[in-house]
Amino acid sequence: MDPLLYGLDLVVFIGIFGIVALSLNLEFGFAGLANFGKVAFFLVGAYTYALLSQIGIPFSLCLIAGGLVAAIFGLLVSLPTLRLRVDYLAISVLAFGEILRLIVKSEDFAGGDWGISVAPAITIAGASPHVGVLVNIGLVYFCLLICFVIAQLLANSPYGRVVRAIRDDEVAAEALGKDRAKYRAQIFMIGSAMAGLAGGLYVQYLHYVLPGMFVPMVTFTVWIMVLLGGPANNWGVLLGAVLVELFKYGTNLAKPILPIDPINLQYILFGALIILVLFYRPQGLLKESPIKTKALELVRYGKGVVNNKASK
Amino acid sequence: MLGAVGLTMTYGLSGFPNFAHAEFITLGAFIGYFVADQLGLGLSLAFIVAFLVSGIVGFLCYRGIFQPLAKRGATIIHLMVASIALGFILRHSIGAIWSWRPLYFTTSWPAFDLGPIRVTGLWLLLIFTAVTLAFVMHLILTRTKIGKAIRATSSNPELALASGINIDRVIWITWFVGGGLAAIAGIFRGADTQIWPMTGWDIILPMFAVVILGGIGNFYGAIVAAFIVGLAENIGVVVLVALGLSTTYRIGIAFVILIVTLIIKPQGLAMLFRRA
Repeated sequence: MDPLLYGLDLVVFIGIFGIVALSLNLEFGFAGLANFGKVAFFLVGAYTYALLSQIGIPFSLCLIAGGLVAAIFGLLVSLPTLRLRVDYLAISVLAFGEILRLIVKSEDFAGGDWGISVAPAITIAGASPHVGVLVNIGLVYFCLLICFVIAQLLANSPYGRVVRAIRDDEVAAEALGKDRAKYRAQIFMIGSAMAGLAGGLYVQYLHYVLPGMFVPMVTFTVWIMVLLGGPANNWGVLLGAVLVELFKYGTNLAKPILPIDPINLQYILFGALIILVLFYRPQGLLKESPIKTKALELVRYGKGVVNNKASK
Repeated sequence: MLGAVGLTMTYGLSGFPNFAHAEFITLGAFIGYFVADQLGLGLSLAFIVAFLVSGIVGFLCYRGIFQPLAKRGATIIHLMVASIALGFILRHSIGAIWSWRPLYFTTSWPAFDLGPIRVTGLWLLLIFTAVTLAFVMHLILTRTKIGKAIRATSSNPELALASGINIDRVIWITWFVGGGLAAIAGIFRGADTQIWPMTGWDIILPMFAVVILGGIGNFYGAIVAAFIVGLAENIGVVVLVALGLSTTYRIGIAFVILIVTLIIKPQGLAMLFRRA
């Protein structure tokens, strides 16, 4: 394969998984929700896009519909468990993802094992593959930018502060009149919508959709991005997405010189990496930064009074 | 059921769902295959070796990873992620050693007809083993000192510690036994169907349904729940066929049970066994 195309391909994947990582960061980093079934919403977005684009709906509407349908699914799955302990949510969403994969695998409308082929979003007649990929990079990074702005605004707004407060101390937040289940459901919906959008982008770039693309490993690749880059830091998770995708491409390139199957090696190293990060740097490469408020500025740059409590 | 009992005990004692439990099952199946078929030493030895190996791996995982992580203040989410990461390491190490092709036990089982049902010797052995082990576990939990210590630690770790119970040791033993039981479950599963690195992962979700329906950490609840989930799956398959749906939705039945339990009674059947 032509190395330039390979590099551009990498850039597209970084963008797409950057969006998924941002969405997981909203749920896990800011709201403390363990979404172990991220791939389920990715799948919903992907199949919604594929099915709608088959009947000739323009790609922008397909992408939006993918996000919306994923958000609805996110709400439905999370409702029974949001008031319970986080581990129940983790188990039920994980199970939900596996079931969705079984459904698209065995139902004819979703193409079964063979999947569905998807027309690319934007086609330019007579253009070289490089131009096609460049167009995709534009589209993906436009969506990534929107998601990043939304994530940053959410994180640094009063709303984001409530969400973090619920993460850090449910009881205290509830005592202040914040309904934790409501906030969690909202964050879960927004996160699922972003994952759905990314799913749509993914299939339109690859031009096909298969049940085998949505194994639980996808979820955990995204978890590695978030944990490595830094939970609750949007720049951090983007860095994490870049590093993880580079690593994946690196091991694929090194395939001929490795003694064991690179897929096995990749997963073993990913597992080891997660455990090392959890041991030695649970806050990730980039730490959670304090929210920018007037009070914080005053404390930091004002009279030189150092007050750690205010920076929380 | 054998797998779920181990899972519920480690879940109850350590306070987080160990997703790598699936890999203890897989490991057990492969060790069993290695001893029984590749070395040709027979199935009874396979059970013993698999129990020991998976048990030791279970103990080492807890001692080497989960316990130090918990001591560093890892949250339940971190522990869950670590267990999944560990699962990947184990699963793909197994995949690298034995490859991803499905393997089959060569032992053949006598089959005979019991009325309209065809029964194999394997199933009889499975039923016999499950009942025996459940009975033995019951005796251990109620009659011996370590069993009482396990139950005490499960219901209130601080109080158990204050009563002079070495709770670290209790949890280690539980992880050992949990891993060992998973291995036995793995051999049966492998002998009944096939062995490949996903053997454990294929049944982890029904097992979580059993654990939650039975009440986390509740041994008797898990046994009853295992029967309920098992029955529901088999009746469900008949219903699915009648409805003209694919039988791959079988796993969905366990999921429905899981969700319904969470909505109606998150503590599961535990209220039936308050003293257990």
